[in-house]
Amino acid sequence: MNQVVVRWLWVSIAAALVVFFVAAPGLALAAEHSAQAEVSAHTFKNSKAVAFLFWFLAAGTLGGSIFVITRRNMVTAVMGMVATFFAIAGLFLMLYASFLAVMQVLVYAGAIMVLFVFVIMILNRPEDEPWAIHGLLGKGMAAIGLLYLFKRLASILWQVKDTHGLVVEKAQLAADVVLNHADPGVAAGTKELITRSYQFGSVEGVGYTLFSNYLFPFEAVSIVLLVAVVGAIAIARPLHKEAEMADQEAP
Amino acid sequence: MTSAFYDLTVSHFLILAAALFMIGVAGVLLRRNAIIVMMSIELMLNAANITILAFSRGFAGEHRAAFQGQTFALIVIAIAAAEAAVGLAIVVTVFRSRRHSDIDRLTLLKN
Repeated sequence: MNQVVVRWLWVSIAAALVVFFVAAPGLALAAEHSAQAEVSAHTFKNSKAVAFLFWFLAAGTLGGSIFVITRRNMVTAVMGMVATFFAIAGLFLMLYASFLAVMQVLVYAGAIMVLFVFVIMILNRPEDEPWAIHGLLGKGMAAIGLLYLFKRLASILWQVKDTHGLVVEKAQLAADVVLNHADPGVAAGTKELITRSYQFGSVEGVGYTLFSNYLFPFEAVSIVLLVAVVGAIAIARPLHKEAEMADQEAP
Repeated sequence: MTSAFYDLTVSHFLILAAALFMIGVAGVLLRRNAIIVMMSIELMLNAANITILAFSRGFAGEHRAAFQGQTFALIVIAIAAAEAAVGLAIVVTVFRSRRHSDIDRLTLLKN
């Protein structure tokens, strides 16, 4: 592609991003005014701190993704990708999808990115200057840091209590107070709804939906994953003896 | 009167997802390294996930089956994992036979 064209593409992308940051609040406001009646259900009624958190995570997402598509070094690009995925996990948390946020970190930032790093390491030449700190001092410092990290983590995990039952109980109590003199049939349904709304985004809620209404897509996805595993092995396996020879010759 | 900076709406998340998708498209169109192109595809899938979850959150109060969106996002993550596995296997195979992964030079099926 022509160099001038590429440069102008970059300029237009940068301009579009600037427009996004300047125009996004205006667009949101316009949408709010145009559909006043519907918007009441869509506003989050958040505090200012949550708004700042959203803009921070949005900047992290966009900055990380721009980092990914502009880096020449692929390992650096993967690190930008990991940062992007962590920011997206934070956005999922803001949308009350706690289970999916955990899945995002585990599957994307964990498994898929490790796969990418493996492939990059296979394809690239070995680096001249590896990052490891030489000598006993660095390793000792690393060990002390790791132990301190483990101690902090363990002390936090030690304090975790089972609060879920307490939350549900409180929700039921609140529902009782609200629906004290309502029709018994209606009250029971609403009470269940209020209690279930406390489970929004939890493993329990998502799992219930997944294994009741969406059992067939779930099984279909498992078959897709099986086919993908078999297909990946079949594709990546060297077919001819020539390929194996070429592999052994490669530095 | 509400401030668009402080009072978040579903639109905020939707516009963010649109921008993320746009960056992914730019990566697919501009970069020539096959691995970077696949990472841009992952970015686009994540933008779709943010859209799904924003709608799931925005309409949670009105519809009882609001877990549909989260279930769909979970399925999208699983499909993305399968896609990454197969795509990277193809990249490794191409690199093995051609010693590069430049998608502009992979013109075997042209003409």
